Amino acid sequence: MNRKIAYGLMTLLALGLGASRAWGEIHTQFTPDTDGVDTDGNGDPNDDHVYLHMFAGDGFVNMADQDRTLQYMFGFGDATGVPDEMVMMHGMLAAEFPAPTIVVREGQKVYLNLSNVGMMMRPDLFDPHTIHWHGFPNAAAIFDGVPDASVSIAMGFTFTYFYQVVEPGTFMWHCHVEATEHMQMGMLGNLYVLPKQDLLPPGTPLANLPPGKGPTHQQGYKYCYNDGDGSTYYDVDYPIQISSFDPEFHNASLTVQPLPFALMDDKFPMLNGRGYPDTTNLNVLYNTAGDEGYGEMNRPSQKVSSLIEATRGERVLLRISSLSTTSFHTLTVAGIPMHVIGQGSRLLRGPNGEDLTYWTNSVNLGGGEAKDVILDTANIEPGDYALYTTNLSHLSNNTEDFGGMMTEIILHPAE
Amino acid sequence: MNTVSIRTRTYLLLAALIACILANAAQAMIMTIRPAATPGGLEFNLSAKQGYILTPDGGAYYMWGYANGDGLMQYPGPTLEFNQGETVTIHLTNQLDVPVSMVFPGQLNVTAGGGTAGVLTNEAAPAGGMVSYTFTATHAGTYHYHSGTNPELQIEMGLFGAIIVRPDNQPAEETWAYNHVDSQYDYEYLFLMSEMDPTIHEKAECGMWDQIDMNEYWPVLWFINGRCAPDVMLPDNTPLLPHQPYSCRPQVHPNERMLMRLIGGGRDLHPFHHHGNNALQIARDGRLLSSSPALGANLAVSDFTQAAAPGMTLDCIFTWTGKGLGWDVYGHEQDIDNEPTGDFPGPGDVDHNENGSVDNVDPVAGEDMEDHGKPFPVQLPDNKALAFGATYSGSPFLGAMGDLPPGEGGMNMFGGMMFMWHSHNEKEMVNYDIFPGGLMTMMFVEPPGAPIGGAHTMPMGQ
Repeated sequence: MNRKIAYGLMTLLALGLGASRAWGEIHTQFTPDTDGVDTDGNGDPNDDHVYLHMFAGDGFVNMADQDRTLQYMFGFGDATGVPDEMVMMHGMLAAEFPAPTIVVREGQKVYLNLSNVGMMMRPDLFDPHTIHWHGFPNAAAIFDGVPDASVSIAMGFTFTYFYQVVEPGTFMWHCHVEATEHMQMGMLGNLYVLPKQDLLPPGTPLANLPPGKGPTHQQGYKYCYNDGDGSTYYDVDYPIQISSFDPEFHNASLTVQPLPFALMDDKFPMLNGRGYPDTTNLNVLYNTAGDEGYGEMNRPSQKVSSLIEATRGERVLLRISSLSTTSFHTLTVAGIPMHVIGQGSRLLRGPNGEDLTYWTNSVNLGGGEAKDVILDTANIEPGDYALYTTNLSHLSNNTEDFGGMMTEIILHPAE
Repeated sequence: MNTVSIRTRTYLLLAALIACILANAAQAMIMTIRPAATPGGLEFNLSAKQGYILTPDGGAYYMWGYANGDGLMQYPGPTLEFNQGETVTIHLTNQLDVPVSMVFPGQLNVTAGGGTAGVLTNEAAPAGGMVSYTFTATHAGTYHYHSGTNPELQIEMGLFGAIIVRPDNQPAEETWAYNHVDSQYDYEYLFLMSEMDPTIHEKAECGMWDQIDMNEYWPVLWFINGRCAPDVMLPDNTPLLPHQPYSCRPQVHPNERMLMRLIGGGRDLHPFHHHGNNALQIARDGRLLSSSPALGANLAVSDFTQAAAPGMTLDCIFTWTGKGLGWDVYGHEQDIDNEPTGDFPGPGDVDHNENGSVDNVDPVAGEDMEDHGKPFPVQLPDNKALAFGATYSGSPFLGAMGDLPPGEGGMNMFGGMMFMWHSHNEKEMVNYDIFPGGLMTMMFVEPPGAPIGGAHTMPMGQ
């Protein structure tokens, strides 16, 4: 066993022993739904409360270059369903990139538990962590995750965030502790909220459903927002999150060197935590051991594929967000017009109902921006299309072109 | 585990006291200069000069900047304020040893008098040269100005500033940004964003002009209103920062409208993320987002991140209500009545709002009545399991204080809620290699009754 891992284990063991005796342990909270009111509108008054449990720690992920460069990272993973007493072992060195995708429905009450399992490879660090639900409307500071303005959870403990979900839309989530460092290191993921309109009674008139789908709502119809007219109808949806790693920064972190904030320069541009061609791999990616022998980890560390598939005629909703820590990015879809229908977790509609949606071939996002784009494939020839950044230097996996921030859209012929 | 409790509500008394002292509650929140009007219009006297700014990492950097009259060089230059329809003349005296000038994007029919012809406009000659610019402000809004001489270098050196043009048709008792009620606001704040590559300033200080290569530009310092966090939290005109007079300390009460005047003052884009709530972008580059004047800002866009490109200005209306949280943000479910019974809920507790559960305190004006009296949904971990922020009040409730370990938190006099407002290209939240800093400030939602703009919270720690 690698010596650093041994030290890390010893530290955590010591912490764990202390925890069980004197000062706390992993303890998640959840209050069952007993109010008798169906707040999410799905017909069941007793299922509106959602229990989620994430852990925050560290891990390794492979980049998409030929060397499968191993990058050390801080990150989140899913511990939902894992017994509290098993969470430390479950979460250590098991961070995922991106963080698990969180999908909830408008009207739900979310008990989002965060357990800090510590960072195995950095026994010198005692970093707390938080969850920032980026874009949450009328947020309360205590659940906003900004450590300067509230509290953050220390190693070996659990904090329970509570969100009454009142707005549908595309958000994102990330750790906000030492945000530049923890986000560059990978503590970020997709988060979106499904609208109540999905659960309308079938037969409800909607004036702007796609051709052949109207004039009324049917069971199974899905919408991006509560548009009131079906204009944000989609058949399939994909979260697409922009992010990127600076290998110098990650290596400095792993080797406990001063972090190059000023020189930060991302060389591994990614969509949903992978560079092309890994973006098109539908499988969960397991990390490999590095040259320096950080164990035969073989952990499922990259779970989110970005391969987009649809049948001609379908509407594809892309929930695009950026959590790049360094730059703006432009994404384009070659050959399929993009209809931007949402921005900043809101339907693109003026205060008096004006239609502010627009057609384009590219969307530009800085860190912390989100845009909802519908691809209408009705008049598009079946085939393979590319979704890629026009920041052309980011079509690379470090020194190797070509790769990076790109994925494919496979349009199947209609039956 | 400890139960959330409210230990003090004395802030109300304190707030009332301070509010009395600060009788001038509607004071301007953006420091500007505005000379007295004369029959010929307004005459500003600016000079271009050199000086040094200070950054929180310990740096002192050689700058060029505009100064108000004979005042000190400023970074950024003075924020000029005038009214729509007024004729404005700006006299610029050059005390630098290079030619310098001013251009006014968005202003029409600017005439230059004196000086010598340059590429973009007339320039003031080095070492005492003068030039004047005259125009009439045709539209209200947020604008900026900058040097039109070697702007790629001179803007980097600090020669830029903000302009606020007041509308000519707002009601006497209200403050509007444009000639429509959609732009009404209670408080306004300036967010003039810029960045800096210190190597350029070091070379400029040494006169190594042939060594400066803008192609190697690599910023490592980022600013709001000419200051890096946490210096933005120091007061306006702090003697600690003689060349950086402008703070950025946005504050607002629940349900009030805050006008954010955002300007991309440098050469990079900065995605400005405002925690707390979405804001409505109502104007861009000094024009209301409107399809017809009568319809107001009917093309306004709601977003949680405002991307102000270089040279662009954005006006946004931000409001925080605290509604829809699913728990009483004022903590009214607790036994915090004027005469607490100590056994809440107990015999002395009343169901004021008749919602079926006792609530000892009357609701706050504008509070979410759906949430009134609803308990806090989770237990906070024991203090030993937590790290505390400098601006944490110790309580999750608005207007309340809570127990904090010695030396932790508390830079929050009135139990407000703090939200980080910052560049979400997170790299820009550092000062050189030191986190946190850069293009960032804390926005304070203060509880009803707490003063705004006067007695301030302390600067951020860390």
